[in-house]
Amino acid sequence: MHIFANPARFLKIARPLTPWLGWSGGLLIVAALAVGLFASPADYLQGESVRILYVHVPAAWLGMGGWTGLAIASFMQLVWRHPLAAVAARAIAVPGAAFTAICLITGALWGKPTWGTYWQWDARLTSMLILLFLYIAFIALDDAERERGGEGRITAIFGLVGAVNIPIIHYSVEYWNTLHQGQSISFLRGSSSIDASMLWPLLASALGFTLLFGAVVLMRMRAALARQKVEARLRRM
Amino acid sequence: MKAKNQRLVLLVLAVAAVLGAVLLAMSALKEQAAYFYAPADVARQGPPQDRNVRIGGMVRKGSVRRAPDGVTIDFLVGDDSPHLIPVRFKGIVPDLFREESGVVAEGRFQAGGLFVADEILAKHDENYMPPQLDVKTGEHKSESLK
Amino acid sequence: MSHWGFILAAYAVTGAGTIGLVAASWTAMRRAERQADALRGER
Repeated sequence: MHIFANPARFLKIARPLTPWLGWSGGLLIVAALAVGLFASPADYLQGESVRILYVHVPAAWLGMGGWTGLAIASFMQLVWRHPLAAVAARAIAVPGAAFTAICLITGALWGKPTWGTYWQWDARLTSMLILLFLYIAFIALDDAERERGGEGRITAIFGLVGAVNIPIIHYSVEYWNTLHQGQSISFLRGSSSIDASMLWPLLASALGFTLLFGAVVLMRMRAALARQKVEARLRRM
Repeated sequence: MKAKNQRLVLLVLAVAAVLGAVLLAMSALKEQAAYFYAPADVARQGPPQDRNVRIGGMVRKGSVRRAPDGVTIDFLVGDDSPHLIPVRFKGIVPDLFREESGVVAEGRFQAGGLFVADEILAKHDENYMPPQLDVKTGEHKSESLK
Repeated sequence: MSHWGFILAAYAVTGAGTIGLVAASWTAMRRAERQADALRGER
């Protein structure tokens, strides 16, 4: 766990890894979305609008997975004072917020032709909107605390506590009556109610977006570390 | 105990406490936060009068009747329970509104038990498949088995 | 079909958001690392 504690060692791995993740993710996304748009079948009920699934679901997974990673990093920062953990949590916040917003917008664009409405205050939609607000609050809190020269401990506690929203989002469709449909894919049981011809482009798209997300997080971590180096040098001068 | 381990234990306890509080709040909100009532809920609690509510379930097969005026439709909403809710709606229904498919209706119960809806939304289920596959089983229709 | 309008809008939002995010992160990283390298050169 402490292998990456040393920023120099981290950068040695992160520098070559960034373009690899970025390009492989980007190419996979383009291929998966091309299949999703043109080669995959329409749904028996939703018709063509099922194609929104290939961007909506990966965005939702990354929005939720992003906060999970942010909470783990916050936990490591609080317990082990891991020097890179705070940098990682901050680096995840902006892409996590971006994909949560993409999830909400594409979901609205799917909801209109399918349900007949852009937005309803059901448990799934509302808890996902709360996730976006949590990301925005985290970013604002982080900015404010860094301006005061704090260690970011309050931000880390907020990141950890905010993680309770993740299981709420996940189980909202089972626990409450929601307009949003139940989950189609269960990784725990290894089952899916999505036909294979639609599942493969979806999983490929999700993998591609995840790789690209990783590249963005590495870029933001490298930027933060470089900025830290500059600030430390300026203070010594 | 080392400070590191102390922080670990403290933090794990704090997370467990917050999680417990949220679970309690969720169970308290179970009814209030429900987006709609199912026919079984309505039968158990009695139809809520004098306020707008949402009901949801499956459109019963063969129950959709269009009135002669062309805009009013009547249908029955059911769920796993034997209870059914008669619904009346005046207006244009979503494309995905059809028999044996999910529906959510917002409106008000009349004294006789009829639910008059102001808005109809189609509720999609978790199945995604191409049109040539059978809806219920997810297997290829007899066409491809021949 | 009217559905394609929604589909294209969803893909446009995703594409613009993702490309914008990558571009902003990349330029910020390049600028910060160049500044850090320049400081090392001054010494």
